[in-house]
Amino acid sequence: MSRKKNVDGCELDMTPMIDVVFQMIIFFIVTIKMDENINEEIILENAKEGPVYKDPDPRTIVIEVDKRGWISINNLQLNDKTLRDIMLNRFQRMGTFPVMIRADKNTKHKDVRRVMDICTAVGIWRIDFAAIKEPKN
Amino acid sequence: MIDVVFQLLIFFIVTLKETDILSHLDVSRPAPDSTAVPEQDPDEMLTIQIGKEGWVVNGRPYINAHFDQMDKQLTRFASISRKSSVIIKCTSESPHSYLVRVLNILARERMANISVFSL
Repeated sequence: MSRKKNVDGCELDMTPMIDVVFQMIIFFIVTIKMDENINEEIILENAKEGPVYKDPDPRTIVIEVDKRGWISINNLQLNDKTLRDIMLNRFQRMGTFPVMIRADKNTKHKDVRRVMDICTAVGIWRIDFAAIKEPKN
Repeated sequence: MIDVVFQLLIFFIVTLKETDILSHLDVSRPAPDSTAVPEQDPDEMLTIQIGKEGWVVNGRPYINAHFDQMDKQLTRFASISRKSSVIIKCTSESPHSYLVRVLNILARERMANISVFSL
């Protein structure tokens, strides 16, 4: 800081600038989403009339189905048996819980059906489908 | 120190990803082996079959290009009774987008009693 002296002997005060920069860093740290562990290949259909998906129940499980029919949770690919075991185990531990299916718009229904059938077999009757309300700019 | 702080700031600005705002479309799903549909007066029940080429709404077919016409029929039906049961039957090869588009209309018309069956 001492080298910032100008010819008149005035010192440039950097404190407010550092404060602002720290405020911005804190803002970005707080707003950044660290749980974006989703399959980026999945393209969702638009549904601007649906209710906004915000502040979801923390028990919600998001099951992804890509256009090839591959099922995954948190980007981890699963077969039907493993998914059934996960769902059954979860259901036995916590009872019913919300299920969100994030399926690609070109996914065939037979592949979405596999997930829905597992849900109902376990005992979950209400299912949410994810869609895009407002696309990013 | 200022250099480090600026580096951090640039890192966060660059890595900050804009994301889509999502909506959720809620449906109920009967048991997989159940073929029974809720008992209701057929006149008060909306049945939508979704196939590979389009939709069939209460027996009237619509191809993908005629989506707007189907939209109007659903809107008309919803204006008569919003409490009606809606039965959606999807064929195996129907794209998921067709189901979401129908659910989007039903969400707009505030029809909540929706069941999805698979054929």
